[in-house]
Amino acid sequence: MSVRLELEGVSHRYARDGDPALADLSISVEPGELVALLGPSGCGKTTALKVVAGLLAPTAGDVRVDGRSVLGTPPERRRAAMVFQKPLLFPHMDVAANVGFGLRMRGAPKKDSASRVREALRQVQMESLANRRPGELSGGQQQRVALARALVTDPQLLLMDEPLSALDANLRSEMRDLVKQLQRDGGVTAVFVTHDQEEAVVLADRIALLFDGVLQMYDRPQAFYDRPASRAVAGFFGATNFLEGRAANGTVRTPLGKLRLARPAPTGDVVLTIRPEALRLEGGENSFAARIASATYLGTQVDYTLETGGARLRAALPPHVRLGVGEEVTVRLPPESLWTLER
Amino acid sequence: MGKRPGRRRANAGIVVVAALVALPFVPLFLWTFAGEWRFPDLLPSEWSPRGIHYLLEPGGRVFEASANSLLIAGAVALASVAVGLPAGMALGGYAFRLKGLVVFFILLPILVPPLASTMGIHLTFIRLGLADTAFGVFLVHLVPTVPYTAIILASVFADRTGELESAARTLGASAWQAFRHVTLPGVAPGVAVAGLFAFLISWSQYILTVLIGGGQVVTLPMLLFSAASGNDPVITSALALVFVAPAVLVLVVALRYLKPEAPDGGKGLVGLGKAS
Amino acid sequence: MTLGDRTKIVLLLAPALLVIGVLFSGGLAAALVQSLGYLPAIGRTEVSFAAYREVLGSRDFLDSLILTLYVAGASTGISTVLAVLAALSLRRSSGRVSAVVFQLPITIPHLVAAVGIALVVSQTGLGARLAAALGLIGEPREFPALLYDRYSIGIILTYVWKEVPFIALVVLAALRGVAGELEEVARTLGASAWQRFWYVIFPVIAPGVVAASLIVFAFTFGAFEIPYLLGQTYPTILPVMAYNEYRALDLGARPVAMAINVLIAVITAAIAAAYLRLGRDLGRG
Repeated sequence: MSVRLELEGVSHRYARDGDPALADLSISVEPGELVALLGPSGCGKTTALKVVAGLLAPTAGDVRVDGRSVLGTPPERRRAAMVFQKPLLFPHMDVAANVGFGLRMRGAPKKDSASRVREALRQVQMESLANRRPGELSGGQQQRVALARALVTDPQLLLMDEPLSALDANLRSEMRDLVKQLQRDGGVTAVFVTHDQEEAVVLADRIALLFDGVLQMYDRPQAFYDRPASRAVAGFFGATNFLEGRAANGTVRTPLGKLRLARPAPTGDVVLTIRPEALRLEGGENSFAARIASATYLGTQVDYTLETGGARLRAALPPHVRLGVGEEVTVRLPPESLWTLER
Repeated sequence: MGKRPGRRRANAGIVVVAALVALPFVPLFLWTFAGEWRFPDLLPSEWSPRGIHYLLEPGGRVFEASANSLLIAGAVALASVAVGLPAGMALGGYAFRLKGLVVFFILLPILVPPLASTMGIHLTFIRLGLADTAFGVFLVHLVPTVPYTAIILASVFADRTGELESAARTLGASAWQAFRHVTLPGVAPGVAVAGLFAFLISWSQYILTVLIGGGQVVTLPMLLFSAASGNDPVITSALALVFVAPAVLVLVVALRYLKPEAPDGGKGLVGLGKAS
Repeated sequence: MTLGDRTKIVLLLAPALLVIGVLFSGGLAAALVQSLGYLPAIGRTEVSFAAYREVLGSRDFLDSLILTLYVAGASTGISTVLAVLAALSLRRSSGRVSAVVFQLPITIPHLVAAVGIALVVSQTGLGARLAAALGLIGEPREFPALLYDRYSIGIILTYVWKEVPFIALVVLAALRGVAGELEEVARTLGASAWQRFWYVIFPVIAPGVVAASLIVFAFTFGAFEIPYLLGQTYPTILPVMAYNEYRALDLGARPVAMAINVLIAVITAAIAAAYLRLGRDLGRG
């Protein structure tokens, strides 16, 4: 019953002569998969979501559900339920009526829809507040109702546009778990828009990263850390160490010195990147003498800036390792943690 | 689907609405310059500067009436802002007991026609020597204008959190300096708009001026009214165009300085329709 | 709240309350006193409800009240329906253009609107000339009389021209705000165009529409100029009736004029209270 969603070459311009908000986006979402559209604000991710919902018509490209184009289907017949950044509950209806709205619009029998509404409210732990008005609920409660309202219609696609961004931090992680659990249980194919990379990593089966309307990388979350497609992608995911150099025969000559790679790399100009948490304070292969230039205590880790002969490196180490500014250390860049990008 | 066909329909709609809005102005413009315009001609057969001459007649009644209207409306605008500004500060900036009642009391003259209260107060004005004077007319014009300035300025002050003033105080400004250098410049556009509306409401008054002015204080709407009751469409139309000029001017200014998209941007203008 | 704050609020409100209290409430109180027959200026000092008995029992007042309710009701009803339709069809247009188009009639003085519309709809007006050009009529008197007529068509047309934009702007603001977003939600939940209007848009804009309509009703109920200029001689609407009684040379008619004024004030004040009540309920959400 789950469907496959495909976007093929989808573009959208708001003004006829303006820059495209979305340029040639092609991704496919497998049945039951949850894909996050990730990117900074204004990158086109909400535009993409609205195109899938049918609220915007693409200026080029196609949207297919199970191989059939849905561009000719108006939003109300796409069975693509959307949860917005704001809860947007209907203010003149109580919680139960809000949740039952979609069933009522489709003419579901009253008795049947009453029990489905109850079940949906139970899933989001709101059954005791079924008769409240939206104005009497907290922001988190409202968003839970909005989620139930979308899910109760048994949609083919669940589209979520930053549904958690208006909530405070504690509530956000709780809601995140709820969203993930409900999506898994229902097996509904889902697209989730967010600007928060942590949220995308925790929630999504796959992430589509967009900058300025252009897809940068589409892969599993782990890949964005291990094998970023570009320096910009690596940077968005918190990588800070970039070493330019020339690669030949499995080694790269960098300002730091000669580094051996674990994986074969193309010959020529490259950029090496290594995540701060992958650096080791130990000797051995790819190790160099360094001096601590600064240390910032972050609670669960300590951020160090290391000065070596030819470069500055950022290292994130567990807090029990206590090093003072000016201390001399040996730092190792494990070959298996080095990732090569073309320059 | 999508937005484009909806937008096209909306643009067609706006043309229709604009035509309906413009319709009453068509005969006003044509008649102002008409010499001879017999039924059933669609356009005047002769043009004439008679309407314009009437308006510009040196020492004529139009000149005097315009001067009276300008003077009274200008004074009313200043006084309404002076009275409405503190009231707006209190209503917009503070929560207090009986606020609902105060708002009701201040709004009442907008919905209860000032005609009733003005007839009631007329005898007192006669006794005090205020009847048949421009000052008396000025006073009764305040009845419909003060509620508007107070309410417009209340919404202006309601949008201010007071944080900027606090910041100024922490930087060493006295309470007065904070008001003078932070609050006032911040509310200045709202104050200007409130003043313009008060001007327009006063400018448009007919019956209050007639009741209290007793025919001694002649303003533009009185000339227009008597022309409209008579049978000379040229004079009537010419007067109407002069009478409407400040309204159009205010609209242009207000649209320039207010954001029409903002939910509050049009509020004052919207309310104005009820009093003019 | 500190005592200082309270003093400050009282001082800030004092000028406005004074102006309205003396010139408006004082005027209404004077009208009330005079309506009870207390007119020392002409040597009458006994107080009675005679004027009210006379007014409420007279055929003239009844006719006038019915006409006033009809004019205000018809103007408000027609304006409301047209405004909602106009706002619905214009909501995707440019905000700036629609703002100008709608603000213009709102800002134009009623008197100018009345004069312009009279020159369009009179029997020798633009409308009649167009009808003649199309061969529909031969002479002016064949064109329907829309001014000074039994049905107050000219008055209602002028009010409609002035008030449709007022209500439409209120509706437009709601449509471009939350009602538009809620409509998108309803769409993704499967609601058809008609269902979206009936179950979402209409309930959301209704309170604002009702509030705006109340203002229009109160205004058209108590307004003087347009009916005075474009209305028939009998019956007249209530404010014109009050004015005519007031202007009568016989000062004895004054309590009657004032009684009519007091009744107008009571009716419009009740509408004002309903309006504010609605606003407060809306504020509570």
